Amino acid sequence: MKAAAFDYVRAVDVEEVCRLLADAGDQERKIIAGGQTLVPLMAMRMARPGMLIDINDVEGLSFIEDKGDHISIGGGTRQRALERSGIISQRLPLLAKAVRNVGHIQTRNRGTIGGSIVHGDPSAEIPMSALALEGSIVLRSASGQTETPLEGFFEAAMVTAIEPDQILTEVRIPVWQSERTGTGFHETSSRQGDFAIVAAAAQIALSRDGSVCRAAITAGGVAPSPVKLRGVEKALIGRLPKDLGPALDALDDEIDPDTDVHATAEYRSRVARRLVARAIMDAVSEASG
Amino acid sequence: MTQVEISINVNGRACVVTVPPRMTLVDCLRDVLRLTGTHVGCEHGICGACSVMFDGEPIRSCLMFAVQADGHEITTVEGLASEDGEISDLQDSFWECHAMQCGYCTPGMLVASQALLSENPDPDDDEIREAISGNLCRCTGYQQIVEAVKMAAQRRLGMSS
Amino acid sequence: MNYQKIGQPVRRREDTRLLTGQGRFSDDWSIDGQAYMEVVRSTYAHAMIRGIDTAVARSMPGVLVILTGDDSLADNLAPIPHSPLPSTKHDMKLQGPNGSEVFIGNHLPLPTDKARYVGEALAIVVAETLAQAEDAAEAVLVDYDPLPAVTDTAKAAADGAPTVWEEIPDNVCVETFFGDEKGTDKAFAAADHVIDMAIFIDRVTGVPMEPRAALGDYDAETGRYTIYAGSGGSVRQKREIAEVLGVEPEKVRVISKDVGGNFGTRNRLYVEFPLVAWVSRKVGRPVKWTCQRSESFVSDYQGRDLVTRVSLALDRDGKFTGMRADNLSNVGSRMVSLSPLSKGSGLITGSYDIPVAHLRSRAVFSNTAPTNAYRSSGRPEVTFAIERLVDTAAAELGIDPVELRRRNLVSSEQMPYLNSVGMTYDSGEYAKNMEMCMDLADWCGFDARKEEAEARGMLLGRGFANYVESSIGTPREQAEIHVRSDGHIDLVIGTQPSGQGHETSFAQVAAEWLGVSVEAVNVIVGDTDVVKVGGGSHSGRSMRMAGTVIVKAADELIDKGRKLSSLVLEAAEADIEFGGGKYYIAGTDREISLYGLARALEARTDLPEYLASGLSVIEDNVMETPVFPNGCHICEIEVDPGSGAYEVVRYTTVDDVGRAINPLIVDGQTHGGIVQGAGEALGELCAMDPESGQPLAGSFMDYHMPRADEYPSFKTALNEVPSPTNPLGVKAGGEGGTTPALAVLVNGFVDALRPYGVRDIRMPVTPRKIWELIQAGS
Repeated sequence: MKAAAFDYVRAVDVEEVCRLLADAGDQERKIIAGGQTLVPLMAMRMARPGMLIDINDVEGLSFIEDKGDHISIGGGTRQRALERSGIISQRLPLLAKAVRNVGHIQTRNRGTIGGSIVHGDPSAEIPMSALALEGSIVLRSASGQTETPLEGFFEAAMVTAIEPDQILTEVRIPVWQSERTGTGFHETSSRQGDFAIVAAAAQIALSRDGSVCRAAITAGGVAPSPVKLRGVEKALIGRLPKDLGPALDALDDEIDPDTDVHATAEYRSRVARRLVARAIMDAVSEASG
Repeated sequence: MTQVEISINVNGRACVVTVPPRMTLVDCLRDVLRLTGTHVGCEHGICGACSVMFDGEPIRSCLMFAVQADGHEITTVEGLASEDGEISDLQDSFWECHAMQCGYCTPGMLVASQALLSENPDPDDDEIREAISGNLCRCTGYQQIVEAVKMAAQRRLGMSS
Repeated sequence: MNYQKIGQPVRRREDTRLLTGQGRFSDDWSIDGQAYMEVVRSTYAHAMIRGIDTAVARSMPGVLVILTGDDSLADNLAPIPHSPLPSTKHDMKLQGPNGSEVFIGNHLPLPTDKARYVGEALAIVVAETLAQAEDAAEAVLVDYDPLPAVTDTAKAAADGAPTVWEEIPDNVCVETFFGDEKGTDKAFAAADHVIDMAIFIDRVTGVPMEPRAALGDYDAETGRYTIYAGSGGSVRQKREIAEVLGVEPEKVRVISKDVGGNFGTRNRLYVEFPLVAWVSRKVGRPVKWTCQRSESFVSDYQGRDLVTRVSLALDRDGKFTGMRADNLSNVGSRMVSLSPLSKGSGLITGSYDIPVAHLRSRAVFSNTAPTNAYRSSGRPEVTFAIERLVDTAAAELGIDPVELRRRNLVSSEQMPYLNSVGMTYDSGEYAKNMEMCMDLADWCGFDARKEEAEARGMLLGRGFANYVESSIGTPREQAEIHVRSDGHIDLVIGTQPSGQGHETSFAQVAAEWLGVSVEAVNVIVGDTDVVKVGGGSHSGRSMRMAGTVIVKAADELIDKGRKLSSLVLEAAEADIEFGGGKYYIAGTDREISLYGLARALEARTDLPEYLASGLSVIEDNVMETPVFPNGCHICEIEVDPGSGAYEVVRYTTVDDVGRAINPLIVDGQTHGGIVQGAGEALGELCAMDPESGQPLAGSFMDYHMPRADEYPSFKTALNEVPSPTNPLGVKAGGEGGTTPALAVLVNGFVDALRPYGVRDIRMPVTPRKIWELIQAGS
């Protein structure tokens, strides 16, 4: 369980990271931030980069800023910092709920929001909640900077649309201004801290009459990547959130669960329905309370 | 690149060591600094036996390369007792409650429990169980560890009241 | 007897070092100049080895040597001399089919013919650093010729299965019958009811938190090998390593200090220990090997893996009138131990008075890692079978399961009780265990709790099981007691703790007998240059065997000291009394402490020959008679019918461990044992791909270890019924937690799911399985 040999560079700024990535040639170069996923993969020699570019000392990658209509979070921000942030708990309560389910304290102290997103596990909690809220990410490379919506970024299990020469520098997650907003997050895993078998995230805003005016819902572990449940969201809008049946019926068309050692497709789909319902109900109850 | 010189502060002592980049922090602590109190249980970040304090926060030292620790502070189980060797109230509670059998997970359990108590001085059973759920113990069934953490918390609260 | 130190919750003496990082586990030993060994392991479950190409690997940086099976044969390394057949007086004796001798097969350190399981060691690489050794191991090319493989227990014994050993074409290496076949047939023919079940107790593994490790150091000048390696007992390791190396036992020294868990996993010798010794000689340097976790999942000896068909005959009053069982144990690819099959065979009737029984016990080879005793070897398997059978009988006959058990329990009046397959239970109060446990579990409050759960849309199930287990173990143990003039006592003993606190509980016994403080007694284990004889720690033997021989040695020491003190005090032996750690002459102020006596003797050269060794004794004890710890466990499990998710909400135990020497330690053993049994019931499984034989559980990501947040705090109590078989009345406290846990929990799940027509659930019970059963039944 010793990693294959590699070169190590501790980068000082984003420009250096971009330059090192651009100059990789035939060498596989990987960014290491928290390393909570990468290091075990390297120890098992399932990953063997020729160079590790350590971004832990890079200035300006760790921040949480309230920009009014959205929260801007540095790609190198630790999961534990999200968990402790007043901005996150007040302005992005869905992310706050999700992050508490990520790994354990020891791994959250190192793991970063950016690492969690670029890694792209189909049921990882942070990507699910950021996707639900239509977050976007800022990717930098030697050739420039682009902002990319998260919808479409998660391509398959453990595969995301980041290019080998890019670094994720920032995550932007919209804030809902509505007073009557609530959130819900539920997951089932064989135990807490493991990657969830199936998970659901919901944020709901209610009108004065109690009907749903805005809905953001995702499910994880029900397709090769987290799914934004557009159909379920649409079916909820304008309705009183009493009978969730019609909205949940839309779920089956949106998910594509797989059978693996942990669960069958049918189980995933039935559990997803239940968890999505619970997440919505929690959100509604918070919004009405 | 075969070797890198790094400076780390371990248990209050400045150490300069030369390590290959692929050496994990736990291997550096054990094999280079010969601080064998921190244990290796899985090397893939699940069992928690290698937990140490890194700049005051608990981390898994198998999930980090030693080169990444350059310039940082680490506290291992060897650094939990006071300078004169007197064990901490948490260690003493572990002792009194029989919170260890083989003792292999104990250093990691102490680190996880210490981190919990510094954030939550009066945890209930569920909070304690959650805080140590990232640390595997095969011997105790966890109950006497939970009792020990509770006892340490009560002792501290009793002292401060 | 009124004891002062025995029975007290004394803080453990070993803990000060374990709490401060000063423990010494196997990988903590290092010697300057050591090199590192990596093992090349088979990636096939079954394949001929056509050749091993090491050319590229040999030229890689840091590589010192690469050795294969051919090299080991050239150096005449011998197979590991496993002794798999339980052979003490009271063990159930096993035979090959048709009364033949059991075929064991050679367990060479590195095989040359074929690989028989994924993970089998095929070659070793030694390099300057471990990372370099791993680099080179990747470059060793093994030329395999794959063969069909079989891993499943029943399939391995079925017609046409691939043959693991050419000598045993059908893989069935043991077939033995116990009990009374004709009588059992009669009982079944006359029965009013017959309950029949197929039972599966699948493969799990011990997972001690400290991976196995060994540091070998060959001294060319003395020709002596020193191996620093934790195990279940250094004396056995030394003997067997010497045999593999082909040297006299005196040429081997095995040292172990702290051992990070065992649970049976470390009892027997593994190939890596003689290999580090051998290769240390080859490279002329100390060589260290430390098992990686993923490696331990494929190379540790594993546990359980029994399938059985059990039937129970009952009369119209619910009295058990006969039992049949057909046990098939999977020994894996190499026969390391038949302990699980043998132990289980003696206890198929459990805690119940079943007048007649018949059992067929078979063992089968397969292309899997070898199996060995794993916590409570064999007893959880048969306890599971009988307790599931009894619960099923109760449900199908409409009798209350507790009432059915009461009608059939072995009573205290029947003790010692000879069961129908030939085991004699020493003592116990089975009915009282049940009553105590039901009280502690608030049995009567269950209906209200169930109603409350149902109001929340949840199901609440209750599980119940009795158990009786056997503690036999190697019958001989030796103790040395040396009184030191500086004020302490050395107690040398041949057991090997791996967390059980021997340094404390053994000191309590010695301190009690000698009238000294517990702190004054220094327990020495684990170094074969000091500990010459010893049976190691397994089968719950240690407290009983050690306790007995310590008492015997202490009595001998006190006698000897009386003779010595009569010389020193210049008084008649008959006038000298002993108490409180002192010899004294009643009615006078003349006295001398044990330590004072040791000091006084240092100056004397005039001691008679038979007293010349001073205040030191060496005592041997052989104790064949087994003991039978027993008890009752009850659990409650809440199940969410919508997702199958569940929570164990209550777990209550009453255990009869005989006399408890240190109740704090016994509690810890019970808690840990429960969780270890529950781990198997709820999540652990060495899953294997049935086609390729590849293990699917190779890390903690796919082997579900029990965690702190999955369990409640348990309520535990003891019903101490001293065993009449040994002077302290000790039974054993290490296996009682595990033995019934599997049955208790599965009984609880089936109880919760009975409204859905569920009769049985195969372990491990996962939310998905529950959910599927609910779907099928609603």
